[in-house]
Amino acid sequence: MLTRSFIGLSLLGGLIAGCNPTPSSSGDFQPLSTDQVVFWDRQTTETAQLLQRITDEFNDSQEGLPVRIETTGNYGEIYRKVMASIQARQLPAMAVSYESMTAQYAASGAVVPLDGFVSAASGGLSPEELADFFPAVLESNYYSDYDGQLLSFPFSKSVLMLYANHRVLRAAGIEAPPKTWEEFLQQCRTIREKTGKPAYAISVDCSTISGMIFSMGGELVVDGVFQYDQPAARQAFGLLETLMEEELAYQIQARTFDDEVAFARDDVAFTIRTSAGSANMAVAMGGKNDDWSMNPLPQQNLDRPATILFGPNITIFKTGAEQERVAWAFTRHFTSVPVMTEWALATGYLPIRKSVANDPRMQAYWDAWPSNKVPYECLAFAKTEPNLRGWQEIRSLVEKAESAVLAGLKSAEAATTELQVEAQATLARAQQ
Amino acid sequence: MSLWVGFSDGLDRVLAWADGHLVGRSGRPEGGRRAALCLLAPALLLLGVFGVAPIVSTVLLSLFDLRYGNGAFAGLGNYQEALQSSAFWNSVRVTAWYLVGVVPTTIGLGFVVAWGLMHVTQGRTLFRTLYFLPYITSAYAAALVWRALLNPQGGLANGLLEWIGLPTQQWLLEPRGLLHVVTGGAVAADVGPSLALCCVMAFDIWHGLGFTVVILLAGLSAIPQELEDAARIDGAGVLQVIRHVTLPLLTPTLYFLLLIGTISGFQAFNSFYALTQSGGNTLGTTENLVIYLFANFYDNGRWGYGAAIATLLLVAIIALALVQARFARRWVHYS
Repeated sequence: MLTRSFIGLSLLGGLIAGCNPTPSSSGDFQPLSTDQVVFWDRQTTETAQLLQRITDEFNDSQEGLPVRIETTGNYGEIYRKVMASIQARQLPAMAVSYESMTAQYAASGAVVPLDGFVSAASGGLSPEELADFFPAVLESNYYSDYDGQLLSFPFSKSVLMLYANHRVLRAAGIEAPPKTWEEFLQQCRTIREKTGKPAYAISVDCSTISGMIFSMGGELVVDGVFQYDQPAARQAFGLLETLMEEELAYQIQARTFDDEVAFARDDVAFTIRTSAGSANMAVAMGGKNDDWSMNPLPQQNLDRPATILFGPNITIFKTGAEQERVAWAFTRHFTSVPVMTEWALATGYLPIRKSVANDPRMQAYWDAWPSNKVPYECLAFAKTEPNLRGWQEIRSLVEKAESAVLAGLKSAEAATTELQVEAQATLARAQQ
Repeated sequence: MSLWVGFSDGLDRVLAWADGHLVGRSGRPEGGRRAALCLLAPALLLLGVFGVAPIVSTVLLSLFDLRYGNGAFAGLGNYQEALQSSAFWNSVRVTAWYLVGVVPTTIGLGFVVAWGLMHVTQGRTLFRTLYFLPYITSAYAAALVWRALLNPQGGLANGLLEWIGLPTQQWLLEPRGLLHVVTGGAVAADVGPSLALCCVMAFDIWHGLGFTVVILLAGLSAIPQELEDAARIDGAGVLQVIRHVTLPLLTPTLYFLLLIGTISGFQAFNSFYALTQSGGNTLGTTENLVIYLFANFYDNGRWGYGAAIATLLLVAIIALALVQARFARRWVHYS
């Protein structure tokens, strides 16, 4: 009898502790720290040190709670940790996030709309200041799924670039990197023929595919309908199919930078990566700037170029008025002209404000090496991926389709046809 | 630190008091039961909060169509969706291939190694340590080394294949079946486990072998030497001794390893995650149940559906353990 009582009690305790599985979407979340404003970020090495110094300066300049940076892994890891924290109802005050992540966080009711902060008479941004941000970097932070609210704020931006190894190009008798996808394919064939090397190391990545589709004149979504079965997407996947069939390219292991290693070893001529990696590439290439360059993504139509805008934003979470106030003040400080100028110069990230681009130090940086300015020039025609709910899930579908084509298990046409159906179904389910 | 010392000291005093108080009563049967239950209470409480509660919470979560925290009661809708989902059945298939490939191979290899070590007279400790080393190495760190070895460009595995004149392989990036690869395409690409999954299995066999060997060594050491000697005097050869004496007496140990291996096989995550980064690049051929659950819960924000997969996984583990226990009566000899 007594045994049963004890076991019953332990089960009851478990039941009570295990109940309430459905977090409410209303009300604030607990902050990770009550005496600090925690910011989850992904920067490492020198850029992390710079961010820390900027944060220290901010903390010294104000009397509110101090901001504490926590390096929390890569973007995928930060996303998973935030999702887990939302379930636990305890969050950092802010975190770096891509638009698709913010859309998911917002679905949980965890995100603070920033419109009120921006328009506030004190501590907000004047219309002139707001107009100083490049439209491309700001627009994607207004979320159509959430009544067009400003749910995140631009943090660090970069664009997709074609990195070219000139040592390999010279060995193949090629004078300049390709400007069109047709030239790109032709150069890959020439490199294979002349050097015996594959020309391009492919990193399976949804954003790279998105950039290719943009540069081939396509869109990802039009009026809620995905465009993966349209010519531009088929052409992008078709190019990958051709590259693999003719052994002009190879696939690297997931989530590695093996392509950059191969690039630096002269094993390949091309890799397609974000401009934010230029600092690492410079180190890998031993500082020999004549031997490599950053170039705009090859285009289908040079008169109507397009590429993809990368880079995270800051999302502020509902962790209480004081935490939110300080988080916004930090965001405002970080995106101020002097700090943004310093950040862009030191990290290679794009200046997200026009007045930063006009700074003489920025001009000098661009003049020092032609490739330095190329990402900035691409900003004029850069577009972002959709900030729709469900996009995060669709990204993995795109990568599976790409893997199938690279493995030779599906044709580009079959892969894109299936992807179109799956992506549309996933979007419909996520929007319910 | 002083807080912890104070807490420990206080707890020590309470337990000492309880011990003295209960020992005084333990002369009576009812007092003895109470004493036992009082001593069990902390463990039961912890089990309730940290063992039962998460299970209850998961089961309740699985009854809601939660996406990113919001959603209505869905009854068994998530279970219905899972059972109708091809992705779910694919993850079941991957898990089944993994179990079939890893558990018997690890135990079989472990037995061979353990039996060999029992009969090695010199350097036994050294060999035991060497076999146990992979097990105490961080699975994630070891997996990163394996990734480098199996890198299609410049990895040691392809270097060896090239050296002996065989075609190089994509290893962890290869979604085609092992049989397809080995037969040069004679077997369809989607038959059997993929080469990438076989690489994950090989890693886990290597990583878990040391533990199996140590457990089997303990089991072998417990077998009286006289029994084997008697069989040999009666004319039994090595294989006959193993088959008719060693293995029957080792069945409790083998059953333990089978049970533990099956449960940990269902729960395998580290190797899959570290080696294939969630299985996306291998077209789901390395997406086992836990990776599928993880992707739905954390990547896709489908908490209710993820919880339903977790519950199905729990049911599957319990069911298989019960089946094993039932059949174990036929082949496990405890004396």
